[in-house]
Amino acid sequence: MAAIGDTSAQLSLRDPDVRLMIAVRDDVPGAFEELVEAYQHRLINVMQHLVGRSGDAEDLAQEVFLRVYRARQKYRARCKFSTWLFTIANNLGLNWIRSRQRKPVVPLPAHDSGPLGPRPAEQLVESRDKPPSSRLQQEELADVVRRALDTLNERQRMAVVLNKFEDMNYAEIAEVMRLTTKAVKSLLNRARANLRTALASYVYTNGDPVPAGEDEDSEE
Amino acid sequence: MNEEERATLVAYLDGELDDEAARAVEARISQDPAVRAELESLERTWDLLDYLPRAEPSPSFTNRTISRITAARQASQHSSQRRRRWLLGAAWAAALVLAVVGGFEAVSLLASHEPTDEELTRDLRVLENRKQYEQIDNVDFLKSLDHPDLFGDDDPDVGG
Repeated sequence: MAAIGDTSAQLSLRDPDVRLMIAVRDDVPGAFEELVEAYQHRLINVMQHLVGRSGDAEDLAQEVFLRVYRARQKYRARCKFSTWLFTIANNLGLNWIRSRQRKPVVPLPAHDSGPLGPRPAEQLVESRDKPPSSRLQQEELADVVRRALDTLNERQRMAVVLNKFEDMNYAEIAEVMRLTTKAVKSLLNRARANLRTALASYVYTNGDPVPAGEDEDSEE
Repeated sequence: MNEEERATLVAYLDGELDDEAARAVEARISQDPAVRAELESLERTWDLLDYLPRAEPSPSFTNRTISRITAARQASQHSSQRRRRWLLGAAWAAALVLAVVGGFEAVSLLASHEPTDEELTRDLRVLENRKQYEQIDNVDFLKSLDHPDLFGDDDPDVGG
């Protein structure tokens, strides 16, 4: 995380992606393509965990890149590039979820992966060499974890995804989500408790009692 | 375990505590089996997230994104060209309106000009003889009338 008071020059020395973004800002040929290539996996992954559907995640990731491109002339290196990128992604993703909540759609059955059909087995890279029953178990478990993640509200989900998959610390998450670090601490605490409740039967497989009294979310 | 204690435990797992606070949590974990069980269940739950598949972008993602950017850039260029053309047209229209209004004002100013007393005094003789001057086509004709052969000289004997 960039310390407060870092100059643009210091940041561009430390963060190669800041240099890349400055090249995008200066319309250096090929710079934007390089940026898309560098960040598409991370961005789509975060978006998919946030919104749940791969088609929507790609559309949203495209929109994030489009906004980055449109805002390039105003870009000033005040923080790590990834922090800026995920701030845009956070705003866009949360607004998208809220607009969908206002216009509810008919939910698909839990076992249906949507119009694109079943998830390709390739997505479970680690399980490819394992026997079919083990792979099936992994797919089922992935589905259970996916549904557990969906029980979190969108802010908890975003904080979890940034912490777990982007290795962001509380201060970085706070910057991306425009919250205090104290609020992030509370958000992640509630999120972990809610996840544990949702996944209780998968966590306590050795007969340990499930802790009682897990409450609902009310950060801050 | 209350909310605050669990939040501290989660912060410990996330590596967010300073050394002193981390040592205090470690002491509690070693002394209290309930705290240890809480920590383990939180850790196991967190590890389950590793089962989520990593999303892979479709192979055409970069191309589609760049195409969309190119389309947006072209649309923006067309829009700015249209805006430039519109501004140019508006500037010409404004200049035309200004010229018409300015001309009209100038003509009005001249037409409604009231002569001052000084101007009237200066042009008094002309004004008094205006009707006669109107009979005459030009100044050269007037000068030719001044010729002595036309109306004789001013000899006092002739007139008696």
